Amino acid sequence: MTMDEDATSDNSSVVTFCDSATMSLGSAVCQRCGEGFGLDEQIVNSNGQMWHTYCFVCAQCFQPFPEGRFFEFEGRKYCEHDFCVLFAPSCAKCGEFISGRVIKAMNASWHPECFRCFSCSKILADEGFIKNQGRALCKDCNAMEKAKGLGKYFCFKCHSIIDGGHLKWKGEPYHPYHFNCHSCGCELKEDAREKDGNLYCLRCHDKMGIPICGACRRPIEERVVHALGKTWHVEHFVCAKCEKPFLGTRHYEKKGLAYCEIHYHQLFGNICFVCNNIINGDVFSAFNKAWCVHHFACSICDKKMSQKTKFFEFDQKPVCKGCYDKFPGELKKRLKKAYDEAIKSGK
Amino acid sequence: MASKLKKLVDDVKDSSNPELDLVDKGIVNILEIPGFVNLKNLTKVVLAHNKITSVPPSIANFLNLEIIILFNNAIEELPTTLSSMPKLKTLNVGMNRLSALPRGFGACPMLEVLDVTYNNLSEHSLPGNFFCLDTLRALYMGDNDFENLPPEFGRLKNLQILVLRDNDLVALPKEMGELIRLRELHIQGNRLTVLPPEMGNLDLIGTKQIFKADGNPWVTPIADQFQVGISHVFDYIRSDTYKFLYGRHMAAGAAPPPKTNDKSKKISRIKK
Repeated sequence: MTMDEDATSDNSSVVTFCDSATMSLGSAVCQRCGEGFGLDEQIVNSNGQMWHTYCFVCAQCFQPFPEGRFFEFEGRKYCEHDFCVLFAPSCAKCGEFISGRVIKAMNASWHPECFRCFSCSKILADEGFIKNQGRALCKDCNAMEKAKGLGKYFCFKCHSIIDGGHLKWKGEPYHPYHFNCHSCGCELKEDAREKDGNLYCLRCHDKMGIPICGACRRPIEERVVHALGKTWHVEHFVCAKCEKPFLGTRHYEKKGLAYCEIHYHQLFGNICFVCNNIINGDVFSAFNKAWCVHHFACSICDKKMSQKTKFFEFDQKPVCKGCYDKFPGELKKRLKKAYDEAIKSGK
Repeated sequence: MASKLKKLVDDVKDSSNPELDLVDKGIVNILEIPGFVNLKNLTKVVLAHNKITSVPPSIANFLNLEIIILFNNAIEELPTTLSSMPKLKTLNVGMNRLSALPRGFGACPMLEVLDVTYNNLSEHSLPGNFFCLDTLRALYMGDNDFENLPPEFGRLKNLQILVLRDNDLVALPKEMGELIRLRELHIQGNRLTVLPPEMGNLDLIGTKQIFKADGNPWVTPIADQFQVGISHVFDYIRSDTYKFLYGRHMAAGAAPPPKTNDKSKKISRIKK
């Protein structure tokens, strides 16, 4: 957008009062009424033209000009008030008439000091402006608005849109390249980190020994847990099954994951069905259960069994042949039927 | 016979291993086992396949007993003193003639495994505080006469194994869905037609889990899912379609299917 400037001013008016006595008036006539002048009559002389004093008045209100000031337009003279009413522009902001420099913009006229950025109120007369949704904005504010509209950040330093990642510093977004690493001096990228009020590149930050949590990937400022070859926030080092933090209690590792004691053994089947203790050493497994060496026995007569002992299943518990033989016939019949059906359906 | 028993008891007394094994010895009365009362340090007693008709209240004087196995006897009643045994962890009274559990039984402080398989128990024969047994991790109640389970079942939070095989159950309470540690559930041979949708909370379909549900008169949609596999059953009961169906089924209040299990031949019933 451009601004037009009009010079509407009083430079066309030269105000003079002349003493009639000093002039030769031979055939002079009044510029307005065309009559001659009386001998002792006061005459107004302006730019070589003469008027009766009563004829030298505003073309609009027919009153003498206050303090002799008049404004001329197309050969007519007006008092300041009527000139303004008839011809002067009025400011779209303050509503006052504008004399002197007029800013024409946004289909209106403005005092230079009234035409300001809609957002930051900076005077726009000399630097130009950008029309944005019916508002006049300075270049900075327009860029900022545009950045907001695009969901992008607006650099607090160079006042332009941040196209890539931004770097937050003291609460404001910046282009990362405005900063250098406090340690190695390299130009920073968006992954730079702050420590003690200074910015560091990720490499230097890591080298300073600030651990990063293996779970949330944020630096660990307080207590650090070292486990699974990583570092963790105390509250983020949790059982892979129940997700409760270990908080310093013992954990068990399997395939790169950590488990609490209960879930490790529950998942990996190392709790003895009889004593409910964790099995150290050999494990007997059957029917999705585990037994320690001492407790693998017939679930009825408690006779010890070995890997070679044949046993029957009863409610998913091992029963030795001797005990099974003592079952009542009707139960054995039902168990056999259920067993046969299971075989038949291929389970 | 008695001298033989005495020798076995004496062996235990002299050894450092306080476990007594008296399987199939024709014992009728525990108190008549010679020298038995002197084995105060006993931690385990196995009396399976005997002819014991009652358990003396003085059993509770064996303060170190952790495991009692009385499978296949003729016990009709258990003493109330059982619940005061401070270390009792496993009690197996399967295949007896119990028609009730003693008053206050739920106060057992350490009980982890309770086996009452093959008795004559029903929901009316459980003591009021039975569901205070929150240390229980395995409960074997197969071959009994339960028709309904009380909603308090949901309080047995530590239960990992629950066997309800061959009862007369017509429905399961929705509180079953609160037994989040359950990894083994046997409900074969009952009169179940539907499963409460809340059971969808349970994790019973992995390789470490066991879910047995054959021999029930399931409604067609559930029976169809069983045809394709157990995981489909659980997916199905979690669906909104099923929740709606279940709500309607319950509201309709259809009569439960008739009893099909013939229990007249159960030895726990046959009078001597």
